[in-house]
Amino acid sequence: MTVMTHAEALVAAIRECMDEDENVALVWGSLMGVGGNNDHVEHIKADFADRIFHPPISEAAIAAIATGAAMDGVRTIFPMGTASFMFRAWDQIIHEAGAAHYMSNGAVSIPAVFHVVHGLRGGGSVQHSQSPQSMLWNAPGIEIAMPSCPADAKGLMRTAIKSNNPTVFIDHQKLNKRSGEVPEGAYDIPFGVADIKRVGADVTIVATSLQVVHALEAAETLSAVGIEAEIVDLRSLVPLDEEAILTSVGKTGRLLVVDEAPPRCSVASEVVATVAEKGMDLLKAPPVRLNRLPVHVPANVALEDFVGPNTDRIVEAAKTLCG
Amino acid sequence: MDKARLLDIFRHMILIRRFEEAVYDFHEQKLFGGHYHLYIGQEATGAAVMASLGAEDRIFSTHRNHGHLIARGVDPKNALAEILNRADGTNGGRGGTFHIADASVGMPHTSALVGGSVPLAAGAGFAAKLKKSGGIGVSMFGDGCFEEGVVFETLNLARMWELPVIFVCENNTPGAVLKSAGGNNTSNLPEGRVIQIPEALGMECHKVDGGDAEAVDVLFADCAARVRATGQPIFIEALTERWPGNYFSFPSMVTGVTQVSMAWDGGSISGEHQEWFLNHDPVLRFARQLLVSGVANFGDIAGIDVEVTETIKAAKEFAQSSPLPGTDSVYAHVLAGEG
Repeated sequence: MTVMTHAEALVAAIRECMDEDENVALVWGSLMGVGGNNDHVEHIKADFADRIFHPPISEAAIAAIATGAAMDGVRTIFPMGTASFMFRAWDQIIHEAGAAHYMSNGAVSIPAVFHVVHGLRGGGSVQHSQSPQSMLWNAPGIEIAMPSCPADAKGLMRTAIKSNNPTVFIDHQKLNKRSGEVPEGAYDIPFGVADIKRVGADVTIVATSLQVVHALEAAETLSAVGIEAEIVDLRSLVPLDEEAILTSVGKTGRLLVVDEAPPRCSVASEVVATVAEKGMDLLKAPPVRLNRLPVHVPANVALEDFVGPNTDRIVEAAKTLCG
Repeated sequence: MDKARLLDIFRHMILIRRFEEAVYDFHEQKLFGGHYHLYIGQEATGAAVMASLGAEDRIFSTHRNHGHLIARGVDPKNALAEILNRADGTNGGRGGTFHIADASVGMPHTSALVGGSVPLAAGAGFAAKLKKSGGIGVSMFGDGCFEEGVVFETLNLARMWELPVIFVCENNTPGAVLKSAGGNNTSNLPEGRVIQIPEALGMECHKVDGGDAEAVDVLFADCAARVRATGQPIFIEALTERWPGNYFSFPSMVTGVTQVSMAWDGGSISGEHQEWFLNHDPVLRFARQLLVSGVANFGDIAGIDVEVTETIKAAKEFAQSSPLPGTDSVYAHVLAGEG
């Protein structure tokens, strides 16, 4: 094991894939939201200059260029920066990248990676704080990965680059500088396999991205009052590991889903609906969604904290659910 | 003068014309529903462009794609079946007229969204550059695309990233006479012209009479060779006279089924669309050029027409006898598998 930051783990995965496959290209920009001047990305810039493209601010055209290139087998990683910006390329991601395989009756595939940084970042305000995962989940043909720790970020990024589908890889601004242990060498983490980040018997907490970190913190507080939470980190939404969710709910009988998107038609809604359809008899109590409030994100950090899910709210929701 | 090349361009032009007449007939028979667009009047541009493209090149078209596909060599049987949404269609019946595509001939995806295919063609250029395939990307699109921001983004990127792409804008906005008769504008641009935009980005730009097959062929062949050699993008504006049947949102066959004999029998031309038949219909125009230059005689022209008419007749029968895809097929190919 090596200790590295989330950002370093992503860069390591990209480095490995660019070494392994000369058809991997990279749009530079502000790489992965880690900035253009960080030492740990300079080696990529130096070694793969002919496969790195420095972009103007043109999300839509670049998303479609990555898509068109993918039709000829070029695997482009397009770090789009703040997830809010991907709406500029919504048409290209949903209607071209996401539809080409289906529309061609399987003749064409789109191995492209769209990397974005979502969520409440501390002062991002209305137009730099989006969590587009549930909107994307409503569009067929796109894989969605959401790591919560450096080890998963690396393995999932490798899978995203090798996937023959368009992948939206959703990171969180507040994860980038967090450190964690990462296995040595190259390894892939398949999509559709949730990870049980903590084992517990009293309540299942399903979460993604930064909310997994919050859920793990909350679990320690809950443990002190005798509630053992099981944390299910989905890691990918498409495909979804329904079995892991249902197995855990089967054990605990209680479901809390934590999600940074506003509640209506959110990731939490979909997980709860899935359990309602396929595991209603497993539930001892009505399931609970803990979402960002259904409002825009205010610039004021105190108000931003108020609208988002956080560790304290998870503790309160779990206590109520288990009460 | 390469006679075989010119005759091949003509053969594709009349094949497109007969194909589009078949599509119109299918729609009149209510064999497919919804909106559709014909390439009648623009055959010279599509057929001449494809004459200089090879297997490594990629072409991206629009909602008005039929002519580009036929000129590129898609089998008319499968293209007509696709328009009828049948199982033997190029896209298995799930694309329809807006999305006919055939990766096996280098036309992997057709976007019907205005401007949608322009950056995809730049993506093909991006792939060709990265893989050093020697191929180029070609975007065939209309003047209306210049109302979409992504087209400007793409032109800028193609210049910045030095992508081997040719942007062929078929400007088919109607002239003053058709506009006053109620014809749809295909674009709303203050100058009514589009070439100034790529010019402002420092891109090599050309304009050409899009109704003159030989002129398009000469220009495009030169441009294609230069893009392959330099890797720099080129923009071509092909100015096209709007087919009178394309006034309104649905095509109407106001000029009737084309009689190629009009090319040499001027006495058979009269009526409201006399001007179109005499000066603008690109199929008749090119037939006259071939006759005057001695590349072909009446019999050659008529013979090619008979041959392609038979091809389209057989293609219509094939398309109509092809089954509809079963409902169990709808789940296939949402996501790609391994490998």
